[in-house]
Amino acid sequence: MFAYLRFELRRMIREPRILVFTVLMPVASYVVFTGFGNMTDEVNGLSIAATIMVGIAGYGAIIGVLSLGSAVSVERTQGWLRQLRVTPLRPRAVVAVKAFTSTLIAIPSIIAVGIAGYVEHHIHLTLARWLLILVVMWVGTVPFALLGLAIGYALPPNVASPASFVLFFSLSVLGGLLVPTVVFPSAMQRLAHALPSNRYAELGWRAATGHPPTTVGMAVLAGWTVLFAVLAAIAYRRSAATR
Amino acid sequence: MDNHSPAISLTAAHKSFGKLAAVTDIGVTIGPGETVALLGPNGAGKTTTINMMLGLVRPDRGRAELFGATPARAIEAGRVGTVLQDTMYLPNATVRDFVELGRALYPKSSTTAEILALAGLTDRANTRLDKLSGGEAKRARFAFALAGDPDLLVLDEPTSAMDVAARQAFWAAMHRYADRGRTVLFATHYLDEADDFADRVIVIAAGRVVADGPTAVIKEQAIGRTLAFDLLGESVDGLDRLPGVRATSVRGERVRLDTTDADATVIALVRSGRRFANLEIASAGLEEAFLALTATDSAPSQRPTDVPTTAGASR
Repeated sequence: MFAYLRFELRRMIREPRILVFTVLMPVASYVVFTGFGNMTDEVNGLSIAATIMVGIAGYGAIIGVLSLGSAVSVERTQGWLRQLRVTPLRPRAVVAVKAFTSTLIAIPSIIAVGIAGYVEHHIHLTLARWLLILVVMWVGTVPFALLGLAIGYALPPNVASPASFVLFFSLSVLGGLLVPTVVFPSAMQRLAHALPSNRYAELGWRAATGHPPTTVGMAVLAGWTVLFAVLAAIAYRRSAATR
Repeated sequence: MDNHSPAISLTAAHKSFGKLAAVTDIGVTIGPGETVALLGPNGAGKTTTINMMLGLVRPDRGRAELFGATPARAIEAGRVGTVLQDTMYLPNATVRDFVELGRALYPKSSTTAEILALAGLTDRANTRLDKLSGGEAKRARFAFALAGDPDLLVLDEPTSAMDVAARQAFWAAMHRYADRGRTVLFATHYLDEADDFADRVIVIAAGRVVADGPTAVIKEQAIGRTLAFDLLGESVDGLDRLPGVRATSVRGERVRLDTTDADATVIALVRSGRRFANLEIASAGLEEAFLALTATDSAPSQRPTDVPTTAGASR
C-alpha cells in the first residue's frame, strides 16, 4: 500500500500544471477581491482581509481536491484500476490512497493564499494559528475528496470534469468563500450555513481567531462527509462490479 | 491453494451478455509449466474466457479456479501476472516507477534491472509511459506483469498494436520468461504466434472450444488447402469421402473442397475417373481454417459433448 502511495505521490509531483488552478488562480482572486474597500473592518472578530484569505484558500483547496478526485474517472475507463485489480493490492487500499493523495493538493493553495494575505494585508497571526489554519483546512478537505471520487467512479471523464467544476463553483459562491455571507440576504445565509464549503471555511475562520470549531458546523460537515462517503462507496461498487 | 492443482481450471463456464452468449460451456484445464495459446478470430470469446479465469467476469454457470483456489485468492497471493487488453493511459509515471510498483505489490520479485532487461526496456527506464511507442508500452505492461515473478502469466492479445519488429522483441522476452518453467496463457488471433510460442493451442470460435491439442496437430488441421473445380454436370456425391476432405461446398457449377491433404485428394479425384475442369488449389487462410473447424462443430446436436477435440484435450 505504501508503494502505491509513493507511486501516486510521484505522479502528482510530476503534474505541476494543476497549480495554475490551486495556487495562481486563488492568489490572483485574492488580490483582486481584496484590492478595494476597507479590509480592516471585522467580521466575527476577524478582519475582512483575513476572512477572504481563508475563504479563497478554501476555494483553491476545493477545486484542487475535487479535480484530482474526479480524475479517477480517466484511470477507471483507461483500464488502470482494472490492472490494479489483478494485482495483490486490495481495492480498499486503492480508494484510500486516492482519497488521501487528492487532499494533499489543498496544502499549496492554503499556504500560497496565506502568504498573499501576510504580504498584501499584513495579516499577523501567531505561528501556531497559521499552522492550525493549515491543518484544519487540509483535514477539512476529506468530504470534497470523497465527493470527487464519487464523481470519478460514477461518471465518464467527459462528464466528470465539468460536473466537478460546476459543483466547485456553486459550493464556493453559495458557501460564501469569495464574498462573506454577512452581505447575503437571510435566506441565502441559511443555505450557505447548510453547505459543506461554508462549514469547511468556518474551520479556518475559527482557527484564525483561536476558537474551537462550532458543534453545529462540525455536525453539518460530518453529515456531508458521511453522505459523500456513501455515494463514493456505491459508485465504486457499481464501477468495479464483476459483470 | 496448492501446487498440485492445475494452474487454470475453467469448468463448464457459460457467460451471456444480454441475449448474446459470449461463451458457451467452456472447459479448460491448464497444468503448471504449460505454455498455451487461446486462438480464435475477433469476437470468438477469448477475452470473456480470460476475464472469467481472472475473476473479472463472473460466469453465469460453471466455475473458475486458479491453483485450486478462487481467482481472487490466487491473485491476492501474488501468483498471477496479467496484461489485459485495455490501452491503459497512465501519465506522469516512468517505466522504472511502474516496474518498481509492480515489484512492491507482489510478495516475491526479481530485481528491477533484471525485469527491464527481460522486457528489453533497459534503455527506456526513465521514459514516461505515455511517451512510449505502442509496442514499448505493451512491453512495459509485460514488465509490470512479471515484476512479481508470478507462477502464471495471462496475456490478452499482447501483441496487438505492435509492428513486426516489436512483436519479435516481445516474443523474445516471453521466451526468456517461459524458459523458467512458468505457466503462460495468451490470447491471439495469429496462428503464427501460437505456432512459434505455445506448446498447446486451444481454438475458440463462436464462444466454444472447437479444438484443443498440441500445436503441431492443430496447425496441421488448420493449415488446410482448398480445391475448387467445375462439376461439369456430375454429382457431388462421394466427394466428401475423398481422402483429406473435411468439408464441401457447392456454388452453382463449382465445388469447393476443404482438405488437409491436397495431394492425396487430387490423386484420388483423378483416379475416381470423374470429369472436372478448371482445377484450382489454394492454401486456406486462418479465417477459413476457423470456419472449417467450426463447420464440423455445427452437427445436428449442439450438446457440448459433441464438440470434437483432438488428442491432448484432457491432459
